[in-house]
Amino acid sequence: MGKLGIAHIFASFNNIIITVTDLTGAETFSRCSGGMVTKSAKDEGSPYTAMKVAQTVAEQILEKGIDRLNVKVRGQGGNKGSTPGRGAQAAIRALVRSGLKIGKIEDVTPLPHDGCRKKGGRRGRRI
Amino acid sequence: MINMKYLKIPMERIGVLIGSNGETKKDLEEKSGIKINIDSKNGEVTFDENNSADPLMILKVENIINAISRGFSPEKAFLLFSDEADFFVFDLRDYAGKSDTHIRRLKSRIIGSEGKTKKVLEDLTNSKVSVHGHTVSIISDIMRMNILKKSIDMLLTGSKHATVYRFVEAQMKELKRSERLGF
Repeated sequence: MGKLGIAHIFASFNNIIITVTDLTGAETFSRCSGGMVTKSAKDEGSPYTAMKVAQTVAEQILEKGIDRLNVKVRGQGGNKGSTPGRGAQAAIRALVRSGLKIGKIEDVTPLPHDGCRKKGGRRGRRI
Repeated sequence: MINMKYLKIPMERIGVLIGSNGETKKDLEEKSGIKINIDSKNGEVTFDENNSADPLMILKVENIINAISRGFSPEKAFLLFSDEADFFVFDLRDYAGKSDTHIRRLKSRIIGSEGKTKKVLEDLTNSKVSVHGHTVSIISDIMRMNILKKSIDMLLTGSKHATVYRFVEAQMKELKRSERLGF
């Protein structure tokens, strides 16, 4: 029986970063991001890249003997939208496909308790 | 219960989420295997995520409930059960500030006269658009999502309709060509 780890998935609209740590979060087992698997900058946030990132991570942690994961998904957060990007779902699906057992999925996007003013000014976004 | 997800939907959409005699809610529960509780007094929707077989289902159900609360009919919202489909919401207040008249103007730009613009966008990209309150929301598959998002952004920032139609047509042609080449 393998060990349990936590996969921290940060999925913004332009990139995805997956870090797998132990339960305390102190020790990192594996980490991968969009730019490490694709060459063109515009693809970094795409679901296909997310899949590739997840596969890379899965390979590395299976080698280290981790086969169960809790997932913490995070989007951009703050005042920039509270939903995780479209890479998150693809990444979790890829983790399941590569033979890892997924336990809890948690949304840890930081939400403001009405914090800073949103970008765009009084009259909204103009060109 | 620690792991309860919790959403808030507008009062006027609660009836749609439940359906006549609770049919829509039952259908959704059956298809997803997740039990949904709806509080019809204050519009709170809670569901338990522990006993679902598919770990991704919870995200999909969340999207579907959000889609229904943003003005989609249940039939259209259920398209989100597919793995390819994605859901996105534009908030018109980001574009127009707080002014109600500006928001009205932007909404009508998306809808067009007798719904023409909306229909053209939906037909060209094979997706669904809904304008409700101060939001514009779209359901589309992932590849076409980018094109549709860009075109709606163009409309909201003031491009002419003809320009947007031309943009969408050109992009769709390119997408179809790259799909034929075997992507």
